[in-house]
Amino acid sequence: MTEQNKHTIYGKDGKPTVDRPWIFRTYAGHTNVWATNALYKDNLSKGQTGLSIAMDLATQCGYSSDHPIAKPEIGKVGVPINTLDDFHVLFEGIPLEEMNTSMTINGTAMWLLSLYVALAEERGVEVSQLRGTTQNDLIKEYLARGTYIFPPEDSMRLIVDMYEYSLHNIPSWNASNICSYHLQEAGATPVQELAFALVTSITILDAIKERDCFNEEEFERCVGRISFFVNAGMRFVEEVSKMRAFCEMWDEITQERYGVKNAKYRRFRYGVQVNSLGLTAEQPENNAWRILIETLGVTLSRKARCRALQLPAWNEALSLPRPWDQQWSLRIQQILAYETDLLEYPDILEGSVVIESKVKELKEQAYTEINQVLELGGGVEAVKSGYMKSALVSSQSKRMGRLANGEQIVVGKNKWVEGLPSPLVNDGDGGIFMVDAKAAQKTLEALEETKRTRDDARVKAALVRLEEEAKSDNNLMEASIECAKARVTTGEWSETLRNVFGEYRPPTGVDGQNMSIKEDNASLVSVRAKIDTFIKTYGYRPRIVVGKPGLDGHSNGAEMISVAAKHAGFDVIYFGIRLSSVDIVQSALEENVDVIGVSLLSGSHNEIMTQLFEELDKNGAKDAIPVILGGIIPEPDHVGLKEQGVKRIFTPKDFDPMTVMGEIMDVINEQKSK
Amino acid sequence: MSKNQNRFDAMMTPELRDMIARAKHLEKWPLARLISLFETNTEQAKQDRHSVMSSLKGSAKNGLILGITGTPGAGKSSLIGELCLSLLAEKPELNIAVLAVDPSSQRSGGALLGDRTRTNFPINDKRLFFRSQASDLDLGGVGKKTYQVTRLLRQLFDIIIIETVGIGQSEIEVEQLSDHTCLVLQPLAGDQVQFMKAGIMEVPDTFIINKCDEDSLAKRSYHLLKTSLKLVNVSLNKHNENSKSVFLTSATKQKGIDELTHFLLQLESDSSVRKDRQTQEYFYLGKWIQQEFGRFGLTLFNQSVKTALTSQQSYEEKENTLFEMMKKMIPSLSR
Ligand code: B12
Ligand SMILES: Nc1nc2c(ncn2[C@@H]2O[C@H](COP(=O)(O)OP(=O)(O)OP(=O)(O)O)[C@@H](O)[C@H]2O)c(=O)[nH]1
Ligand SMILES: [Mg+2]
Repeated sequence: MTEQNKHTIYGKDGKPTVDRPWIFRTYAGHTNVWATNALYKDNLSKGQTGLSIAMDLATQCGYSSDHPIAKPEIGKVGVPINTLDDFHVLFEGIPLEEMNTSMTINGTAMWLLSLYVALAEERGVEVSQLRGTTQNDLIKEYLARGTYIFPPEDSMRLIVDMYEYSLHNIPSWNASNICSYHLQEAGATPVQELAFALVTSITILDAIKERDCFNEEEFERCVGRISFFVNAGMRFVEEVSKMRAFCEMWDEITQERYGVKNAKYRRFRYGVQVNSLGLTAEQPENNAWRILIETLGVTLSRKARCRALQLPAWNEALSLPRPWDQQWSLRIQQILAYETDLLEYPDILEGSVVIESKVKELKEQAYTEINQVLELGGGVEAVKSGYMKSALVSSQSKRMGRLANGEQIVVGKNKWVEGLPSPLVNDGDGGIFMVDAKAAQKTLEALEETKRTRDDARVKAALVRLEEEAKSDNNLMEASIECAKARVTTGEWSETLRNVFGEYRPPTGVDGQNMSIKEDNASLVSVRAKIDTFIKTYGYRPRIVVGKPGLDGHSNGAEMISVAAKHAGFDVIYFGIRLSSVDIVQSALEENVDVIGVSLLSGSHNEIMTQLFEELDKNGAKDAIPVILGGIIPEPDHVGLKEQGVKRIFTPKDFDPMTVMGEIMDVINEQKSK
Repeated sequence: MSKNQNRFDAMMTPELRDMIARAKHLEKWPLARLISLFETNTEQAKQDRHSVMSSLKGSAKNGLILGITGTPGAGKSSLIGELCLSLLAEKPELNIAVLAVDPSSQRSGGALLGDRTRTNFPINDKRLFFRSQASDLDLGGVGKKTYQVTRLLRQLFDIIIIETVGIGQSEIEVEQLSDHTCLVLQPLAGDQVQFMKAGIMEVPDTFIINKCDEDSLAKRSYHLLKTSLKLVNVSLNKHNENSKSVFLTSATKQKGIDELTHFLLQLESDSSVRKDRQTQEYFYLGKWIQQEFGRFGLTLFNQSVKTALTSQQSYEEKENTLFEMMKKMIPSLSR
């Protein structure tokens, strides 16, 4: 036998080998089931083996497409799913038994899994053959992503129901996928990412233990099914250390807290989407390099390499990616995996004293934080008390402060901002993806058709059973699958459970927060002076309501604007996400505010602003209370929005919060001097 | 120091007249704008307040002002949300206003007003009105602005609920304003002991232990509170004269809400559960005097000046009278 060297990977047979690349994933779905089915078939014919399904916000939040709150959202950021008939179309011509299907679904995860199982049964596919994942991590929904429906305890019950059902019936299904990705997007530091994601997994496993539905062997397998979805940002040395810390901590926790003996089931399995929060609207072409660098954090270390990777696109901060944009990102992965020698070596960081020391530090800090949360009563309690959410909002505020103070350099944003115009955004469509507005009609008609042709008695019976079992301690999966087969709609399923469990609104986390902006910062000084003058002139402090109408869960912007406004000296009314335009107008009227600030990133701003102005008009306040708008608002829409009455539009390019505040004061003063 | 006009015009702008007429029907925006007048520190606003109060005379109610105070996060807003719905279910003809007061930032003067997060009121129901207010330390102090707004609200609503956070000073403040004060506690929180040390336990009229989601928790908390209160000589025994009631509630599990609702309805219909409005008025006038003229001013006010006021005068007119008198008595003030 030839002597083995340390820089070569050897297979089980002792022969030199190279690694296979991670899975290249593209997250897809939009418009309606017909368009999305065509897209999937096209991707599969090009060699893709798994599906990663994006659902629209109404489906994610438990509303059928014909609900008023769903209308502006149909098919926008994902495919709308109303009934099992939709699933038949979505998977038409796609062999379920060969697919690994990943669904980014949370509040309605049980419903979507039920549809998938029902589809398999109606097609005559053995349910036990199904493979895939439902994201189903509700803790991070309350903290960051916003598509929760029920109170935390009830959400945990649904999650455990799904683990129990899956392990017994669909052994290759990952009932949930624990996400730290979204936490980082909401501002989490690496330590918070490690700590809160691991707390989430502990919360789920503790709940499973408490249910006591598995024997020892089953429980080990169940632990083995827990997988993670992680983020990686620009500080790639720290990120690679974070990934190594994750692997070690998971091994330790599963062994020490849960006594898992089989090392295979203690392995930290994870997929990745790299950081998007740091991708800029300014000089967007620079994002391509950022994405590449972020990719290093999760691929460099063989020991802690991701299993699957999906990348955002260069125009992330402008709109949804078009097919070409996605292709360009896919090329990054292909080049890294196939043109470089990365996959030929064992772990190139093994033995690095620097990395080892950094990993140690991250682990220590993360364990301290985990213990803190466990002392507070665990993940559910730390959601309800707002402890974790406040921590994230605080980190995000610090980040905003660093950007505004120039302490954190972002090229093209707060440094080297001069440059030649980018030819990329001078494309015919301005680098922006648009959903065909007429496509929603087809979805609505299909829903109508299903409702017309289904057996109403069976629907009713299925819903009654769902309600009764929800009130009992029974596992809800069977009742839910029967709902699917009976052609119950997404809205009906959710409504039934809403009536039993109630709806939940988590703490907003903005209470008591401050912006770390230097007191002598010129724009801060300037806005405070404007506010002082206002108070002297009008005898009260300016009041702003910050509103998030519709189903958009992107709360960062609204939170930062609220915190910044308080820091500037406004009285701020902010009461969270997922409100209707009517809610927001009513609060603006009752609170008699000087300005309404709306934040929208979901792409439904045109429809929602129309609703909002109609509502203001109804109350005779249309021209009396100025309205401003911020978020992802593509340039071509600005003119129309301003015609509707929007006084100012802010986008990610307006990253200096105190400059924004100054402009808001200008809007208020313009109104006052009318 | 603000300069004071001596007399108020009897004239009102048509706009204000219209606002008042619509506010009487509890239309949200006109009412909200009237409330703002009671929070605004200008001569014009003062004049307008006088006009508003004068034109409401006669038709007015004398609503129950209910103070709800307690530790941060005890569930005050959630509980208020549940109570309002339950009160209306019991007695649909009621009108209820909620005034939620949050502290202002010492640093910027601004405030984050987030109590709306927890109330799930039906939309466009005129019987329910929700308003947030910043305690606004630099514009007249905690109680004053809140008091001013209650002057208006109690003319229009049957029940006015004031939510305030805190232990200590603001609790005593809210007690001044309210006809009845409830202290909301969390079960088994160690902070009960702190309350007792501060001698605050005598202040509230009623105790509510919220978050009693489970009955066992409720029982334990009740006994703990009872023993704690004994230490400060407050009795929970119903037959005792200066005894106080305790309610055990869960806003999320909707427990104990019915009992509390009935109790509040009783208070609402019992006209003896209204503080003497004049005493309240004098308290706030006194506070204002002290703020403008210091201790010395307050002494003068209490000794003699007070007697110059008549019950016919509006609050604003009283302010003017007082200001004039003070100016005469403290010559250095007249500029
Ligand atoms: C962070 C992020 C997330 C986080 C959100 C975390 C959170 N709690 O906010 C997570 C990971 C959860 C997330 C999820 C999703 N996201 Co996202 N997300 C982003 C991202 C990368 C950054 C947004 C952000 O937070 N920026 C930081 C904040 C501070 O900036 P901002 O919101 O822009 O606010 C600034 C200004 O716009 C302005 N402003 C904003 N609002 C207001 C309001 C007022 C009154 C004023 C004065 C100013 C103002 O001032 C702020 C300060 O500078 C953007 C892309 C990008 N780079 O912008 C995509 C993006 C918004 N997401 C997108 C999508 C599609 C989604 C998902 C639907 C994906 C999916 N299918 O699951 C989900 C949906 C979640 C939901 N429930 O709605 C799309 C939206 C597409 C569109 N509009 O057409 C984007 C544009 C990415 C893309 N190109 O595809 N996302
Ligand atoms: N378990 C439980 N939680 C409750 C109950 N009432 C309120 N909460 C929760 O306690 C938290 C705080 O509730 P709020 O109603 O905002 O409390 P608050 O006292 O108004 O808080 P502040 O105004 O911030 O001081 C929220 O997460 C509520 O969901 C209850 O009866 N039981
Ligand atoms: Mg509150």
